[in-house]
Parts: sequence; C-alpha cells; structure tokens
Amino acid sequence: MVAAAGWVQPETRTEQIENLVSGVDRYNPNNVGILEDYLYRQIRTEEYDCLANLAILKLYQFNPDLYNPDVVINILIKALTSSPFPDFNLCISLLDQRPTIQNTDEPDPLPTLLPILTTLHNLLQQCRFPAFWALYRSENAESLRDNYTVECVGFEDAVRRVVVHAVVGAFRRISSERLASYLHLDVEDVPEYVQKLGWTVDAGGVISLPSNPDNQPVSTVVQENVQLSQLTKIISHAQTA
Amino acid sequence: MAQRWESDFEDDLQAVDLNLAIGTYGQNGIYEDTQPRIDEATLLAVQQQMAQQAAFSVLPDEVKRFVVRFHQAVLDNNLAEITVAYESGWNKLTEKYYAKIEWPEAEVIAPLVNDDSEGPVTLELPEQWLWDIIDEFIYQFQSFCVWRSKVKSKSEEELGLLADAGQVWSSYSVLNVLYSLIQKSRIHEHMAALQEGKSPAEISELVGEYGVRPLYRMLGYFSIIGLLRVHSLLGDFTLALKVMEGVELNQKSPFTRVTACHVTTYYYVGFCYIMLRRYPDAIRTFVSILNFILRMRQYHTRSYQYDQINKTADRMYALYAICNALSPSRLDDNISNIVKERYGEQFSKMSKGSEEGIPAFEELFLYACPKFINANPPPYDDPELLSIYLNDLPTEPAQRHLSLFLSEVRAQAPVPTLRSFLKLYTSLDATKLASFLDADEEEMVQQLMVMKQASRSVSRVENEKGLLDGQTMPTSDLDFVIDENMVHIAESTVGRRYAGWFIRNTEHAQRVFDTVKNSPLPPKSGSAQTQHQPSHREREGGGGGGERGERGERGGDRANASGGQKNAGHNKVAWGGVKVN
Repeated sequence: MVAAAGWVQPETRTEQIENLVSGVDRYNPNNVGILEDYLYRQIRTEEYDCLANLAILKLYQFNPDLYNPDVVINILIKALTSSPFPDFNLCISLLDQRPTIQNTDEPDPLPTLLPILTTLHNLLQQCRFPAFWALYRSENAESLRDNYTVECVGFEDAVRRVVVHAVVGAFRRISSERLASYLHLDVEDVPEYVQKLGWTVDAGGVISLPSNPDNQPVSTVVQENVQLSQLTKIISHAQTA
Repeated sequence: MAQRWESDFEDDLQAVDLNLAIGTYGQNGIYEDTQPRIDEATLLAVQQQMAQQAAFSVLPDEVKRFVVRFHQAVLDNNLAEITVAYESGWNKLTEKYYAKIEWPEAEVIAPLVNDDSEGPVTLELPEQWLWDIIDEFIYQFQSFCVWRSKVKSKSEEELGLLADAGQVWSSYSVLNVLYSLIQKSRIHEHMAALQEGKSPAEISELVGEYGVRPLYRMLGYFSIIGLLRVHSLLGDFTLALKVMEGVELNQKSPFTRVTACHVTTYYYVGFCYIMLRRYPDAIRTFVSILNFILRMRQYHTRSYQYDQINKTADRMYALYAICNALSPSRLDDNISNIVKERYGEQFSKMSKGSEEGIPAFEELFLYACPKFINANPPPYDDPELLSIYLNDLPTEPAQRHLSLFLSEVRAQAPVPTLRSFLKLYTSLDATKLASFLDADEEEMVQQLMVMKQASRSVSRVENEKGLLDGQTMPTSDLDFVIDENMVHIAESTVGRRYAGWFIRNTEHAQRVFDTVKNSPLPPKSGSAQTQHQPSHREREGGGGGGERGERGERGGDRANASGGQKNAGHNKVAWGGVKVN
C-alpha cells in the first residue's frame, strides 16, 4: 500500500511553499516567482511536488500575462514521470484556451511540444515502454531533449522508475531481454541495474523479483461483514417489545 | 442582470469587507470605471424618483401586503414565517405577477418598509435560503461565463458592453466573495474546534462576533462547498477537493440539513474523484448519496428543489455507470440495478472496452459532467485579437475535459477483453493467450501491465481526514502475476450474503408481531368457528397472538431448533421457504 500523503504534501516541501499551497496566498500573482523557483529546484534535484506545480498553473490560468511556456513544459515533464497517476492530465486540465499573446521574436514552444509530450504520456499510461523510448529518442523529440529534458536531472531514471513500478506489480520473473527493452538499457547492463533494486539474475538471464502484495495473487472468498448499525432497528425493538 | 446581482450581493454584505480576503488582483478596472458614472446618476435622480412613484402606484395590493408582512417577520426574526414567505409566498407571487417581468426595484418598495436598509447583522434566515444565496451566486457566475464565451452569437451592442466589461465576474471577484465569507465566519476554526471537542463557550470565543451567528456560520460553510464547485467548473479537481479539508463527508455534517447542498456536494466530490482516476472513491460517493435520495424521495416530492435533485441524481447514475465500467465493483446491487435500467445499453458498450464503447463514454460524460467554464473571457477588448480568436476558436472546456478523460479510458481499453479470457483459467501460457487474442505477444504482455495498474487505485481509508488522502489498494476481483511466460490467475469471490435478508425479515416479523399485539382480540364466538389451532395456544402466547402471528412464532421456534422440516409448508408466512441448514 502506498499512501497518497506523500503526494498531497511531500516531505521536501518547505513551510513557505506549504503556506502558499494551502492558504489564500496561492492566488496572489506576486508569489508566482517563489513557486517557479521551487519548480526549478525540483528540476535540479529529482524532487517532485505536484500540488505546488498545479498552483503555478492556477496562477497562469487566472493571470494569462504571467504565462511562461518554459515553466509549463517543465511542469509537464515532471508530471510525465508520475505515471500511472493522473498528474499529467491534471496539469493539462488547467491549461485553458491557448494564450492569445504571441510574441513573434520568441515563438511559443508549447504548441509544438505539447503533442509530443501528450503522446509520450499516453505511451507510458499504456505501458508501451519500448515505443516510449523509440519516440523519445527520435528526431521528433529532439528539441524536447536538447532544450528541456537535458536540464531535468534524472529524467530518464524517473522514466525507468515508472517501468519498475509497472514490472514489480505484474511479474514474478522476467527475462533480461524483455526488461532491457522496457528500461532502454543494453542487455549486459541489466544485471547491474536490477541488483541495485535487490532483484536477482540467474545464469540464464532470468530476473526474479521480490514478493510484494501485488505480485502474489491469492484467491479469496470475501465474507459478508455485518455492521452493528444495520442491526440497531432490531435491537432497539427488542428492548421496547 | 448578472452584474447587477453581484453588486447587490456585495452591498448587502458590506460589513464583511469582501475585498480583503484574497486581494483585488487584476480588478482595478472596475473601480476606476465607476467614478465618472456618479455624476450621471445625480442628474437622473429626480426623474427616477418620479418613475418610482409611478411604479409604486401600480403594485398589486397582494404584493404590498407580502412585502409588509415579510418585513415584519424579518424584524421579529420569525424564522417560521420567513420560511413560509420564502418557500411558498414568494414563489406564488412570482408565478402570478412576475413570471415574465422582474420584481420591482428595491427603491420602489422602500416606502413600504420605512426605507429600512440597515445591515443584516442580527438577521436569521432559513439555512435553505442561505444555501440558495451561494448556489445562485455561483450559478450566475457560471451562466455568465458560458454566455460570455460564445462570441459568434453576440450583437454589436453586447460586443460593446463586453469590451468595456473588464473584470466583471472575474474568477478573482467570485473567489473573493466566497473566501471573505469563509474567513469572516471563521468556519474552519469552528469545524476544527468541534472536532477537538471544545465546549460551546470556547467555540464562541474562538469564532468571533460573526462566527457565532448562524447566518454567517452557514454562509461560511456553504461558501466552502461553493469553492468546491467553482474549482471543479474551472477544471482544478485537486484544489476542489483540497478546499474541502475539515468538512466531514458523512450524514451528520451540517450540509446534510439542506438536501440540495448535500446532493451538490456529493456530485462534485464524486466527479472530482473520477478526474483523479479514483473510481472506487467516486463509486462510494455516488452510492451513498443516491441511496440517500432514494430514501428521502417520499419527503421531497413537493419541494421546489425536487426536480433539480432528480436531475442531478440522474447524472450521478450516469457517472456511476461510467465508473463501474472502468472499475467493476459490486458495492450496491440496488443502485446497480437502477443504473442497468436507465443506462443499460451504454453500460454494456462501455464495459466491452473497445473503440465501440467510446461514443457511449462520450455521451454519458457530456450529459453528466459539470458545466465547465473558461477562467478568462475571449479578448473582447482587442478587435484584432478577437478576429484571430474567431478564426481559430479554441476547444470548448467541456470538450477539453472530455478528451482528457477519454485518454484515460483508451489507456485501459484492452482490460475487459483480457479479463474475460483470464477468468477462464488458473494458469495460461502467454504465447497461447496472445494467439487467442490474435495479438502480438510483446504487446499483450504490456497490456497485462496496464491491466495490473488499472486494478489498483488510490482509495480513501475510513479514518483519513482529507478527501485527497488515500492508500493504493487492489480494486478488482481478478488478479494475476506473470512468471516469465506463464500467467497465473487468482479470482476472489464474494460469499453469499444473508444478513440483509434476515434483517429485512426480522424487521417484518417485528412489525407483524406489533400489529397483532395491538389488535383487539376477535369476538369469542367467531374465533371458535374460524380457528383450526387449539385455543390454549392463544393463552400461552400471552393473549396477543392471532393465527398469523402464532404460525410465525411457531415457525421461528422450529427453525431455531432445526427441527422444522415436517411442518415446513406451514411456515411460509414468516420464513418465505428459506432452507435452514
């Protein structure tokens, strides 16, 4: 069981940010800089705070003048690797109609990158990991890689964590070749990677995963559970009768 | 009309410092704009007064009487009288005189109430009314935004008005009203103190001079529900649930005292859970409120909210169908059966998981979703931008949210087919399964991972406070694991349920027993002719039993002693022929 508490309020969130996220100051456009700085800290440190990033998008929603496409793209990149949780779509949800202010000197990169980010997100949601890597490594995604994900520390590892999350629940044993294609690693590099996770590799290259509640399916018969509240009418009648 | 309503509302609540709550970001425009109009108003004052006198003379007597009586009720704080005036008097007169025109302006009827316009500070109003104030406020906001977003149908005059409208009905102005009421009433402090078990004296000290008055307390409380709704309309589903922190979602919460509020709250909470892909939480929310509506149906047929509640309920049945197609559960057979009656066709299409089901998802989502709005108006103030806007209209908000939702639906589209195959086996070779499905093996293994993830969901645990809290839990009765190339399957089944049946029949037996106990004994002569049983049984039973009750009791004794097989046929009245093993 994974608690949502770490998502609602990550440990890395400072008190100042917590006050912004949970208080009425979140609506004050003057605070957008603080939240943007916090986002860039997340980009540099592998931390992640979805609610704080949504607060930035909220300010952009209410104050279109604040809109900064680079910030939006970075927020989406962070949200991408929280799959299978719905963060990416929650962010997109707050991007209202496209901003109408177009600066011709500096064209908005979002309209060209958004379809790629969306497709990458759909591939992760569908656990089509080899297809994800193929698109991510393709020429289409070149500007995404060169201008954005290269700055995002640990982006590829974050994608691999999405993979590991999916594999750990569904498999008891998996072949090195299959896992390598999911992780976008060479087959020879897989043993080293999985050993860090505490997984073991046998001589034939088959990887065994540790038991967890998700990869130990058991057949059960769910028995009926009678609540006292269901019986109050009968018991109180018995008293008055 | 909408603008005027807002300014009235702000006037009435002047004492509440409406603009302090979250600041007046981006709405300086309004205040600059009001200045030059004052002179104009002075010039017209005399003319207006004459017009008002003329208007007053044509007021129907019945309306005058209503105003006077209502005013007296308000002065007396006579809640019963106010409620009657609000729920029936007002509606009757509106229907009779003001169905097509507006009620007279406040200035016209002012003479009737001695130009009384003191602040509402000591006022008490029915909770229903307070809810309606907040509800109507948000409804006006939403309607205005929808109207505002339709550029093409605007006349020249309307375009001119909108170009000058600036920040009228801006999201900030609406949030300001709601947050002001929340802060002034200190409703959050109030709820926290209640949960900590503080004494009434401690609480009244804590909540201040406004918070102790039911009027402000309930306005504050309903404003939280208002925030839930406004944020949902703007597509911020996390924030919508976050602002509900401190509000307990159970049948004892204050909001349940106003049915319309109760229903609205659960509708939006349930919908937000769908958008957070927490289908089990959404299902639980809908089941709880739909059962409540079913139980309350008999009391609400005459309420003016009845139609509205029924419409919302019907939308929740549609949302329940969507959730149940995406996350099959057997939480409540009663609700599921109603859903099958109303949306059976769509449900079976959605449950198949193929592309054919998409139109059914689309249909039900668009029917049942909130009336989404854009936070900002089209660029009415800039003709150049407006023409660009018109040439390339952005997607409507409902369509945007629909397409996001459908991307979730499509991601788990392979699940129902896989599920139907896996249900047939306890273990199965992946290659074989792929060939059954006529699919590529690698692709199918990836789909299995999707299936695994779709069968886990963050779900709220009972003692957790915030609506966003929860734990990841399995949600499906079918589970599996892949062992290299072998799929092992395990299925959980639900044991037969007996409790409901026994509870219903025990209660029935108690009712029968009560009826019989309270009936007079039949006349002696008649009883001798009709009864088959020896009369001493009657005396044994305490003198209360007629034939029907006696059989039931006897049957009960026998069944308990598990020796009733011989006379099983006689026991049908009370036991309905169930086997007691």
